[in-house]
Amino acid sequence: METKNNNKLGWLFASPYLIYGFVFFLGPLIWSLYLAFTNWDLIAPNYDFVGFSNFIKAFKNPAVQSSFWVTYKFMMVFVPLVTAASLAVAMIVQGLPKLKSVFLIGFFLPYLSSGVVSSLIVKGLLSYNSPVNAFLRDNFGIKINWLGTPFTALMIVALIIAWKFAGYYALILTSGLESIDKEVYEAAAIDGVSRRQRFWTITLPLLYPAIYTTLILSFGVTFGIFTEVYQLTGGGPNYATNTWQMEIYNQAFKNLQAGYASAIAIIAAIVTFISIFVIKKLLEMWGKRNGWV
Amino acid sequence: MVGSNDKNKLSLTIRYSVATLLLLVMVFPYLYMVLNSFADWSQVDRQLIPSSYSLKSYSWLFSGGETGTPRPWLNSFFNSVIVSVGSTVLMMVFGIMVAYALAKIKFRGRDAVNNFVLFHMFFPAIILLIPNFLVIQKVGLYDTYWAMIIPKAMSLWAIFMYTNFFKAVPTTFIEAAKIDGATEFQILYKIMVPMSKSITTVIFLFLLMERWTELLWDMIVVRSDEMLTLNVLLSQMFGPYAGYPGPMYAASVLLTLPIIILFIIFGKRFKEGMQFNLK
Repeated sequence: METKNNNKLGWLFASPYLIYGFVFFLGPLIWSLYLAFTNWDLIAPNYDFVGFSNFIKAFKNPAVQSSFWVTYKFMMVFVPLVTAASLAVAMIVQGLPKLKSVFLIGFFLPYLSSGVVSSLIVKGLLSYNSPVNAFLRDNFGIKINWLGTPFTALMIVALIIAWKFAGYYALILTSGLESIDKEVYEAAAIDGVSRRQRFWTITLPLLYPAIYTTLILSFGVTFGIFTEVYQLTGGGPNYATNTWQMEIYNQAFKNLQAGYASAIAIIAAIVTFISIFVIKKLLEMWGKRNGWV
Repeated sequence: MVGSNDKNKLSLTIRYSVATLLLLVMVFPYLYMVLNSFADWSQVDRQLIPSSYSLKSYSWLFSGGETGTPRPWLNSFFNSVIVSVGSTVLMMVFGIMVAYALAKIKFRGRDAVNNFVLFHMFFPAIILLIPNFLVIQKVGLYDTYWAMIIPKAMSLWAIFMYTNFFKAVPTTFIEAAKIDGATEFQILYKIMVPMSKSITTVIFLFLLMERWTELLWDMIVVRSDEMLTLNVLLSQMFGPYAGYPGPMYAASVLLTLPIIILFIIFGKRFKEGMQFNLK
């Protein structure tokens, strides 16, 4: 029942969010739309309106262009990697009669890592005299500048992030697997359906909602990569790992171009929004076409 | 039949071996970090498993060694605790309050507030980095704990999770309590909060972990050495301490261990809560 008392109480209970939403969301949103059309440098008291020139400058800038492509490159490596790894973990753990939760918690531990720490470990593992490089050098004569080569730098960052998220996604997939009735498998096995066929005809369709969740989450992750890149490559070499966040950080807080950086942030937000929307639609179409939804 | 049993046993053994091997690969980076923090300095980053150990990295970390300028590692550890616990507690309290309003109080404008929360949740947050920094600067909170706590005092995800959970709580409970004369605050803290124990554990741990490992925001709103969180200090020491990997691993252990211990302590409850969380 909607009463006067309830109205007051409702707004009272919701007020922390409303205040927060205005101060740290709506207000800043409008502010950044305004800033994007100025040439403000974060310090000077005066600035001018420059129309769309920040946006034009951003579109022409190779660093910004690379941010656009780098995100999709990360996607192409990270998403298949983390999906395969989490699926493998989930399927193996699911078949264990005992200690299932111990294993799941073990696999979940990487999710607790700070990107700074995992970057430090990887940096150590890939340093010139590290066991990995010494082994490759002594046995095969291979010398790789892992973080100084565009391709390997991108692969390594994607690998670190996949390591972090695989156990978390495996947990989501395991709860999806748990909901599948065992009798369905047994019936299929009796009917002589092979293991591989069972995966495609039973597991995947019934697991689709859980896989959909992990895929959406992992696509989302690629738009927010910062720490590992900041720590290991600074966006290089030659912009090969220059993510949106990295570029915005550099322009706003290193080059102090608040107006220009706001314009990049707006472009990034639009690109992110459209990309996630399209990916979502494609995933839903994929599910519908196969009759899983 | 005996044959099939043996086959089952064998396949189970293989399953456990594969799972254990995979787990070792996954936790190897952590093992590498811990072992290297205790390794003799001549062996740091030289061997996968060091053979001789010392506590030098730890004593060096806190004394500053031959550089003579000890960094405020312990101080920043406490900064991290203050900031992370402060923000997380606020995120929980506000999350519960707002979710209760959205789930159980029928007030005019509720749908609008609900839609606004969803809009906010799915909005690309990247656009807010610069203007939120400017808000902090304008209100004079730059370089304070508040700069790290207040903008991180609200979790839309927590609101969303609690709203869904509270919606599933039968309204009869609340009505019965109201007849007994309980106020809304009493209902919230005596009925709703105790009922949501298991998801509270999960939400708290997730939020705390995320806050504990935040880098970008804590890096831009704070400048003084004595204000840095441990994560930011470690990040800033990448360059200056590049020649001292041992102490860097020791600092990494200092940053990672508390959160892992928490998860292991709450592991069991965590699993129960996850069940709801994933629905």
